[in-house]
Amino acid sequence: MKLIIKNLTKTYKNGVKALDNLDLEIGIGMFGLLGPNGAGKSSLMRTIATLQSPDSGEIIFGDINVLEDNMSLRKVLGYLPQSFGVYPKMSAEDLLDYFATLKGIANKIERKAIIKEVLEITNLYDVRHKNVAGYSGGMKQRFGIAQLLLNNPKLIIVDEPTAGLDPAERHRFLNVLREVGTNCTVIFSTHIVEDVKELCNEMAILNGGKILKHTTPQNATQEIEGKIWTKIIQKDDLEENIKMYNVLSRNFNPDNTLNIRVYSETKPSEDFTASKPQLDDVYFIALKQDEPLLTS
Amino acid sequence: MFSTIFKQELKYWFQKPVFYIYAIIFLLLAFFIAASNAGIWDGITGTTGSSRIVNSPIQITGLFNILTIFIFFLFPSIIGVSIYRDFKSEMHTILFSYPFTKTNYLFAKFFSGIVIVSTIVLMIALGLIIGFRFPGTNPEIVGSLNLMTYAKSYLVFILPNVLFFGAVVFAVVTFSRNIAAGFITVIILLFFQGAIGSIFSEPEQKTILAILDPFGFSALDNYTQYWTVSEQNELQIPIKELIIYNRLLWLAISSLVFGLVYKYFKFSQNALAISFRKAKGERVVKTNFSGVTKIILPKVSHNYSFVQNLKTLWKLSNIDFKYIFKSLPFICILIVGILLLIGTLFTVGKIFGTETLPVTWQMLRGGNIFSLLVINVCTFLYAGMLVQRARTARISHLVDSTPIPNWALLFSKLIALLKMQLVLLAVIMVSGMLFQAYNGYYDFEIGHYIKELFGLKFLNYVVWALLSIFIQTLVKNQYLGFFILLIIAIGTPFLSLIGIELSIFKYNEGPGFSYSDMNGYGSDLSRYLWYKLYWILGGSLLLVLSILMWVRGLPNSFAERIYIAKQRFKAPQKIAFFTLLIAFVGLGFTIFQETKSKNKNSASKQAELNAVKWEKTYKKYENYKQPRIVAVNANMNIFPKKKTFDASAVFTMVNKTNKAIDSIFLNHNALESTFEFNKPNNLVLEDTVFHFDIYHFENKIQPGDSLQLKITVKSKENTMFQQKSPVIENGTFINNFAIFPSLGYASGGELRDNKTRKKYDLPPNNLRPHPTDSTALGNTYISKDSDWIDFEATVSTSKDQIAIAPGYLQKEWIENDRKYFHYKMDSKILNFYAFNSARYEVKKELWNGISLEIYYHKPHTYNLDRMMKGMKASLAYNAKNFSPYQHKQARIIEFPRTGGGFAQSFPNTIPFSEGLGFIADVDDENEDGVDYPFAITVHEVAHQWWAHQVIGADVLGATMLSESMSEYVSLKVLEHQHGKNKMRKFLKDALDGYLIQRTFETKREKPLMYNDGQGYIHYQKGSMVFYALSDYIGEEKLNGALKKYVEKVKFQEPPYTTSIEMLSYINQVTPDSLKYVLKDMFETITLYKNRVVDVTSTKLENGKYQVDIEFEVSKYRNDEKGKKYYGEKVGDSLMYTPKDKTTPIYSVPLADYIDVGVFSEEEIDGKKKEKQLYFKKHKITQIHNKITLIVNEKPTEVGIDPYNKLIDTKSDDNRRKL
Repeated sequence: MKLIIKNLTKTYKNGVKALDNLDLEIGIGMFGLLGPNGAGKSSLMRTIATLQSPDSGEIIFGDINVLEDNMSLRKVLGYLPQSFGVYPKMSAEDLLDYFATLKGIANKIERKAIIKEVLEITNLYDVRHKNVAGYSGGMKQRFGIAQLLLNNPKLIIVDEPTAGLDPAERHRFLNVLREVGTNCTVIFSTHIVEDVKELCNEMAILNGGKILKHTTPQNATQEIEGKIWTKIIQKDDLEENIKMYNVLSRNFNPDNTLNIRVYSETKPSEDFTASKPQLDDVYFIALKQDEPLLTS
Repeated sequence: MFSTIFKQELKYWFQKPVFYIYAIIFLLLAFFIAASNAGIWDGITGTTGSSRIVNSPIQITGLFNILTIFIFFLFPSIIGVSIYRDFKSEMHTILFSYPFTKTNYLFAKFFSGIVIVSTIVLMIALGLIIGFRFPGTNPEIVGSLNLMTYAKSYLVFILPNVLFFGAVVFAVVTFSRNIAAGFITVIILLFFQGAIGSIFSEPEQKTILAILDPFGFSALDNYTQYWTVSEQNELQIPIKELIIYNRLLWLAISSLVFGLVYKYFKFSQNALAISFRKAKGERVVKTNFSGVTKIILPKVSHNYSFVQNLKTLWKLSNIDFKYIFKSLPFICILIVGILLLIGTLFTVGKIFGTETLPVTWQMLRGGNIFSLLVINVCTFLYAGMLVQRARTARISHLVDSTPIPNWALLFSKLIALLKMQLVLLAVIMVSGMLFQAYNGYYDFEIGHYIKELFGLKFLNYVVWALLSIFIQTLVKNQYLGFFILLIIAIGTPFLSLIGIELSIFKYNEGPGFSYSDMNGYGSDLSRYLWYKLYWILGGSLLLVLSILMWVRGLPNSFAERIYIAKQRFKAPQKIAFFTLLIAFVGLGFTIFQETKSKNKNSASKQAELNAVKWEKTYKKYENYKQPRIVAVNANMNIFPKKKTFDASAVFTMVNKTNKAIDSIFLNHNALESTFEFNKPNNLVLEDTVFHFDIYHFENKIQPGDSLQLKITVKSKENTMFQQKSPVIENGTFINNFAIFPSLGYASGGELRDNKTRKKYDLPPNNLRPHPTDSTALGNTYISKDSDWIDFEATVSTSKDQIAIAPGYLQKEWIENDRKYFHYKMDSKILNFYAFNSARYEVKKELWNGISLEIYYHKPHTYNLDRMMKGMKASLAYNAKNFSPYQHKQARIIEFPRTGGGFAQSFPNTIPFSEGLGFIADVDDENEDGVDYPFAITVHEVAHQWWAHQVIGADVLGATMLSESMSEYVSLKVLEHQHGKNKMRKFLKDALDGYLIQRTFETKREKPLMYNDGQGYIHYQKGSMVFYALSDYIGEEKLNGALKKYVEKVKFQEPPYTTSIEMLSYINQVTPDSLKYVLKDMFETITLYKNRVVDVTSTKLENGKYQVDIEFEVSKYRNDEKGKKYYGEKVGDSLMYTPKDKTTPIYSVPLADYIDVGVFSEEEIDGKKKEKQLYFKKHKITQIHNKITLIVNEKPTEVGIDPYNKLIDTKSDDNRRKL
């Protein structure tokens, strides 16, 4: 099942073009959508999830024309928004039963069985009688996964699910997601490059409503093999280096010196050493290229 | 810092469009109401004619305040939200760390809200000012602009109310961080105000109510309730003690509330949560090191079929229903509502302090106020809460991306709402039955409860639920939605004011239904159901639109929603929409065809124009001599099953004048009828609009000649949407005016208001002629075409019913499976008779040769003995004191309450409403309850003398001779039965009734003996006056004079008697010293202001007590417009200025005899009863009086006119406890 997005455009009332003639093809497997805050990730995901209608464009999933027949998509869709609330005073079990009903699971016994299963998968079985409103952030995210699994979705959309999770939670969450996503299309948006690296077999970088790069994590890093250079500089020299080189990122060393990473076809200067490309570098290169040119 | 926050808040509001929307809504609302009151629609509807100035201070204060109440609903979103906004935007985490003080913050927030609200209040004032003077209004009823009145209303009433409601809402929303909580608080406060009003509804509790009413209205009412029209037009709003105390009290409470906010508010404040369960502490450690490696979900089947969706929506509705049921606002409203319901059940149907039996329809009637308020408020509110529920909980994105169709979601909300309504209706049923059981009444008509609540009423609320869902889907802000629904619900009935009269154009309007034990719901029911079907179709159309406009996913702009709606409008929606549309319009058109008037004018306008045309065309014939009807022989066939009648009659007429008559004017009704005279004639005019025909007789009818008129008439049949026939299945009651024609012009339909008359070039209408006008005494006030007649009638009805007409039963037979009754009267009667038919049980008793009969509905046996007793007592009293009874029989005939709540006396026949006495629950032990089945029976039987023997000419004061006299007899008989003490309740009710009702007089109030037929004069004032008169000159003397009078005038031929003639007989037995009483009570409108100023008592050495009483007596007169005056000419009035006051008291000169009483209490059978220690009339000649009395026992109370025999505008200061 392939998700094909064509010429998708959406302009908000305040004039912001959230989606700008966007084209994208996504196949089975984990697809990472990487982009900074405000890139249009959520807009894209909500549009695919039938929660928002675009101004123009087309979305096709398998044989479903999503914009024409949103009900068919919803049947195979699992969606976890960036943040969500729950009805107060309802336990996880009750709330999942509520969602299972909404998702068309008519048989009570089947409902029970699948709810038990998803609770176990997400490790919420022990707290199934507790009110979801009282859950911690990680538990709530896991609950989000649980509800998403109920209809055995073919297309899973998760919008920045790992934001705010502690490392253990994040880890577990990604594992569950990986498991879930073996046989279906999972679109996973994040601004954490690490997530994509760990998880995705395909990825795209989105900014300003446009896809800057559509690739796989392996290809992406391979592409820039030998083009990433690093050197240690003094803090005061940063300005100068930024002017001179295409600085992708910098980070402090404990001795207050700076480590900068530079993208260049050739070795920029002698004091640089070659570095193994990271996915981060790919991300920054894409964003850098998209940035309006500053004449200084 | 204060001004920074304050300005910031104001700026925020002034930049918000919604602020201007609110301002414009209120401006228009006020404008619309003011302009309507000032008669701007007179061109479309009837003329707003009145002697009342629509923008007098009291009217402005009333309107201004009532409109302000609507603003209270905006408080949560204006005042309440000011702090909540900072929380919601999570600004508080930053804001609260800034360096400003709590004082600055709270005061700036609160008062900026008050300023914004006041700006909207100002818009109301502006709307009123413009509306009253808008071109097209009637300048005759608009006074000059008085800005002081607006300022006073605002400062004294509105501002404190705004501060109070504002403070409470501010507190609630700030601490709960929940706008809904603030909103509910407003509703509950309004309920609270209503509840206080009904709890302290007794006249004695007026002062408490005045202080406790949070709006201050009751305090104002205390001073203005008895204002006459002229006082209402002219006087400024008084700012007196009670009003000041009330305002101070509520300002203090407001400050206290605000103070509490100040005290407990902390910048780090967390929302207040109410939980009834105490949370158990528990250490929670999550498993941090588990993982999943393989996921195999169990295979489940997914079912997206229509049937499954139906099942799902039912399940969802249960979840939503549970949510409503457990939510705090619902519980609060329900509790307050139940208290209100219990309150109403205890007072429903109380007459003269006596309750009725808790029959089921009475319980259901008691539930009306509950259902009207609670069910509507909850429907409007929860429609919004449910529609917005997922969004409010921020779970909507999860829900909206599931494959549940929009219609299933929408219907689940609707059904949850309907379930809530059913529960609330069940509350009425359970409360009603509990109340019945509590009263030991175990005749539970469960079927009746279920039918009315869940069958009939429910339909009405379904229609509201449909609209509520629609509005709340359309409007994003549920509180705005609520507000809109409220305006629609309250405003719709008033659309008639602008000429929209047909119910089909007004949402959820249409005929109602009412129940009687005798006739059930009658034929009202089918009409009600048709209209409800019509509105359910209309509401379902709205529902389809709601589905199209349903918000799924992210909210869109309105234009986008329309676009989406168009996309969603596919085959199934189209089929549903157009099927409903065709059904709705089709049914609507059918009803329209049947109910529309044939004229292009609105019904009220047309009625006005008709009245003008009628008078202009035919008034000229008013004094054209006509023969008099001397005998009527009627045949009346009542068909209860078909609900029709046909009738025929022969009128025998005689030319009683001394001139030949050449034309007869037949004034008949619109029914299908034929008329045939037994002398040759030509029909020279047949008016099919006014049904006024002129027959010209070639051979004139000579003086003394007689002729006969044969009449046949057939009723129309009821249609599906309209009642056309007066016949009902069980309990028909029709009088002759509704069936047969009369002779000559009738002036009853003329316009009465002189300002309106002037508009149409009609001369002023000077009421009825004055009794001194000797040319006006030719007719009785009952009929214009006859004096006394011979009467005979044959009435037929269904086999299972008894049909009744005046007269004695001659024969009774069955023919064609119908029952026939032939009645004949043996003595002359007025041309005034009625026909009754129902399945009656009969109770008969022979008493002194008179057959006393009661025809009653089988279960209504409760008060038959009291009525029997009443008939006997009245017959005895009247026969002994005035003249013998003219018939050998007296009959009381029960008719359904749906036909009216009255009793009426026809010759030997008294139709008596089932709601009036048959189900009364008289408690003889209750000091404050009147045995009204007895009292009313006495009154009606007295009419056999006072109307059917003595009948006044059709001039002013005629009803004094019938109604006031019957009421007098009733009081006297009651007094003889129950003692003087029990009269106090009756008299106080009469006094209060008179004083209140005269304030509604729109034309003019005349003295008793010149009254123009107003009930409050001839009943309430008349009963008080005659009772007081008998007290002054003695019952025996008074009755003696009346006896002579009756002897002279009974069964007289024209000229008929007048109030002047009766008074001349009374005058003869009145000593000179009491002549002033006749002048005060009969000839003028005179009101006392008597009060005890001070009283002390000291024990004397001989064991007796000396009582010193200081009191004031004063009286004033009102002219016919209610203007006060104190004497005939300048300088003859009394004046006294109390020591501690500056304004003097004036009085008409006094030489009056006033009761002075000293009382103590004694215990009789464990009950405290009042005991007279001293009771005597004192002659009073000045306003201020001090007297010293010696009594034998320790006094507990003194009184000046303690039994309220005199008409006194403040009756509760006549007594003073020691």
